Amino acid sequence: MISCKNVAKLLMSDELPAQTWWKRAEVRLHLAMCKFCSRLARQIEYMRSAAWQMRDQEQGDGGLEDRLIRRLSGQ
Amino acid sequence: MSASRLEFLTAIRAMTPAVPITADFLERLRRRDPDALGKAVRDHARPLMRAARGLGFVEQDAEDLVQDVFKTFLERLDSFEGRSQLRTWLFGILHRKALERRRASIVAERMDPIDDVFESRFDAKGNWTRPPADLERLMLSKEIGELIRGCMDGLPVNQREAFVLREVEDLDTAEICKILDVSVTNFGVLMHRGRARLRECLEAKGWSKPGWNRK
Repeated sequence: MISCKNVAKLLMSDELPAQTWWKRAEVRLHLAMCKFCSRLARQIEYMRSAAWQMRDQEQGDGGLEDRLIRRLSGQ
Repeated sequence: MSASRLEFLTAIRAMTPAVPITADFLERLRRRDPDALGKAVRDHARPLMRAARGLGFVEQDAEDLVQDVFKTFLERLDSFEGRSQLRTWLFGILHRKALERRRASIVAERMDPIDDVFESRFDAKGNWTRPPADLERLMLSKEIGELIRGCMDGLPVNQREAFVLREVEDLDTAEICKILDVSVTNFGVLMHRGRARLRECLEAKGWSKPGWNRK
């Protein structure tokens, strides 16, 4: 049986998709049974969503492209 | 935010395609065709700007950096054979320019104190001794964006860059490894340490307290 520590390592390093079918199934089964590891998975998903929220807030001003094109065309 | 909404948003992000560069477009760029230059800038300036801001550059410095990226791209256009996507090429230039300005290295350090913090959460058998906090009824808000930005300031440049390319720009592992010029293993170490640092920081700032768990 895979340990919580190994599940945490696989989730946090983004290495799960590269694992064998058997290993991925083992992790999925572990997540279904372990409330602490499923909390970790939820935290990782939350950080991902928060990063995306940050992305939405970082739209900058509308003139960025025009300024860049103007400067690059003038060189 | 509900789990299904999170899955929906994640799926939408995964559907955003990376547009390959055509030989004709490349040739027009080499001739400095204004329309081609305009398209390259309009398609990529904003993601590059976001990444530069995500790496901690203030607005004006980030814009200077992005301009420098396009300038270098145009100067070295003859060496671009079109085998990789234009996006990968531009992010690669951004990565090298950012490291130059920060005088930093992308390679993961052999030892990092955050590894000990991670280890301290488990016993000898690999079971949790300090389990993750339970997050319920999450909502994406302006505050959580600012909270994670504050915590990202505490990340070493290499971990921050890996996190930004993966989670903010949503690039896949192969493309990120190409941009950062690191192995898949090294990228995994950077992500693991970056996320461990962010979790510790967010936990210290109280992301599981009622104030952050709004309906």
